[in-house]
Amino acid sequence: MDFALLRDAFWGLTFDGLALGAIYALISLGYTLVYGVLRLINFAHSEVFMIGTFSALVASGIMGVKVEDDPRTGWGMIFTLLVCLVAAMLASGITAVLVEIIAYRRLRQRGATKLATLISAIGVSISLVELFRIITDSLPREFPRIMDKTFLFSYAGADIRNDKVIVIIAAGLMMFALERFITKSRYGKGIRAVSMDENTSTLMGVNINKVITVTFLAGGLMAGAAAFFYILVYENTSFKVGFFLGISAFTAAVLGGIGNLKGALFGGFVLGILETYTSAVFGTAWKAVISFLILVLVLLIKPTGLFGESIQQARV
Amino acid sequence: MKKIISAIATVALVVGTAVAVAPAANAACSGKLKIAYQGPLTGPEAALGINELNGVKFALKKFLDANKGANVDPTVYEVDDQGDPAVAGPIAPKVAAEECVVALVGPAYSGASKVSLPVYLSAGLSIITPSATNPTLPSFSKSIFHRAVLTDDYQGPAAARLIVSKNKNAKVFLVNDASDYAVGLQKTVDITLAGRVVGKDVTPTGTTDFTATIAKIKKSKATAVFYSGYFSQAAVFVKQLRDSGSKITFASGDGTLDDQFIKLARKAAEGALLTAPAIPMETASPKLAKEMAALGWKPGVYTTESYDAANFFLEAIKAGNTDRASINKYVSTKSHKGLSKTLKFDSEGEVSGADVNGFIVKNGKLVLLGAIK
Repeated sequence: MDFALLRDAFWGLTFDGLALGAIYALISLGYTLVYGVLRLINFAHSEVFMIGTFSALVASGIMGVKVEDDPRTGWGMIFTLLVCLVAAMLASGITAVLVEIIAYRRLRQRGATKLATLISAIGVSISLVELFRIITDSLPREFPRIMDKTFLFSYAGADIRNDKVIVIIAAGLMMFALERFITKSRYGKGIRAVSMDENTSTLMGVNINKVITVTFLAGGLMAGAAAFFYILVYENTSFKVGFFLGISAFTAAVLGGIGNLKGALFGGFVLGILETYTSAVFGTAWKAVISFLILVLVLLIKPTGLFGESIQQARV
Repeated sequence: MKKIISAIATVALVVGTAVAVAPAANAACSGKLKIAYQGPLTGPEAALGINELNGVKFALKKFLDANKGANVDPTVYEVDDQGDPAVAGPIAPKVAAEECVVALVGPAYSGASKVSLPVYLSAGLSIITPSATNPTLPSFSKSIFHRAVLTDDYQGPAAARLIVSKNKNAKVFLVNDASDYAVGLQKTVDITLAGRVVGKDVTPTGTTDFTATIAKIKKSKATAVFYSGYFSQAAVFVKQLRDSGSKITFASGDGTLDDQFIKLARKAAEGALLTAPAIPMETASPKLAKEMAALGWKPGVYTTESYDAANFFLEAIKAGNTDRASINKYVSTKSHKGLSKTLKFDSEGEVSGADVNGFIVKNGKLVLLGAIK
């Protein structure tokens, strides 16, 4: 155990943990939104994220960026980054909506059990992973460096790097936008109404299918943004990239209280920081053990997660 | 009567099952003899397996060109274990049950070898691995085991010597990916470096964020890091290490020695010191390397060793051995002058008189530094 490292490199670890947590939080929003509305764990969500990473990669290729190129600068860089971000978000959003239409809608309309839907979700997840395994020849892919990575400043021994700052700020803005959308917009009201009581919402004239499509779309867009930020920082992806991140993001959603937007955000950041701290103190091999032990402890004390409420109550 | 029928049915079932899973050591092959190759042909480690498969394919093609009419299938029997013990486990019995598979080049990875070898031992299927370097493997397979390269008992100390030769006052941080191969290799590096090791961390396969490990490396004031694991993760690690501003020496073993490592890590790979008990085809025989490339089989790490292993088996077949037992006896007792070295196996199936080579990544290319003294 190396508590001295945690003490010495505290701010550096916290900053890196926040950047990782921001990515977890963005992915976990998709899990929590779908759960809030459908009471369903969307196991294919990790693949929605994976498709986002590949779309950003394809978009960078279309923009003429090659892996051997030097990083871009100025407006060219900003434009390329934005195109990649939008491509990832769109691809993930569309994938999420398609997954809902193909794998869940019919089952839902026919009154299938939750278990049947769950199996369908796992089936979609495996199909997408295998599809990308075949397409990519099972090889990892490298993402070109569009933006040079530089240290902006140092604070208490922590080197603050530009890409991670962008991730934390942009993720924060996205989450804020989603929060506003859920609390203020017409569709947001619909989402909250359906998550509160599906039957009553229908009687009140809420178009359930539309609301559910919007829910998947919103979750997919967030996962797409997470995919872009992930590939911006780590610069590689593979067909199985969603697996480990998906588990972490799902854990974050449960930790915060699944079905609760603020819980997902909080859970994501807490898990990101927790994983980084435990890696430093106990060794990276112990990261998962300690993080999950803490998750179990939290759930033992508070079975509904830290926030433990659902979307409809998150309006204030 | 019902009881008798059910008793007969039970006996029949048991006998049937026993026949179905019985070792195919002496089963006759009615068609052409097949040479199998086992390693990762898909999955993140596929590049290494494809290098090796290309070597086997090339040996087979050269053999059949020179020996027209030989009773050998022109297609290599490909066994894709993805380098993963969990995948290799269920596949091995199927390979063993293929009567016409008389010899196997592989398995490529130590972890996958540990689960496959006991099955091949019971089936009497002779194997020559071109790259599984974990020293404990002979205990899993005894008589059918042969290894065309030196073990990690040699590679680890050589890697340690290579690091020290570049920096006399090296202080080394050790990182491994928790795989059988990585743990075994790191152990021998650790012993040789002794007092120079300033810290260790384990980053299990699948780790994407190395922040904490890098923080530890920086705090330890290490001047070099030795990463024990495979290229796909090594690339992610070295990239994050360089992005953190660290310029310390990065060294790794044969798991990282692959063009894919350079492709994935790009500039971060520059200056990386790598070791392997292997010799590139381009160095062993530039002529054959060109010939291979012209056929679309680009040689890479362990291609030469796989080529030698396949040729040893083909030589055994040419000498009139057509079943698993006689082929195994041939490779266990005779010697074969290969491109990388003369293959002559001792009672444990280990080869002697070979070198561990050092490499450095320079201008995006792997450059051979020569045998590590």
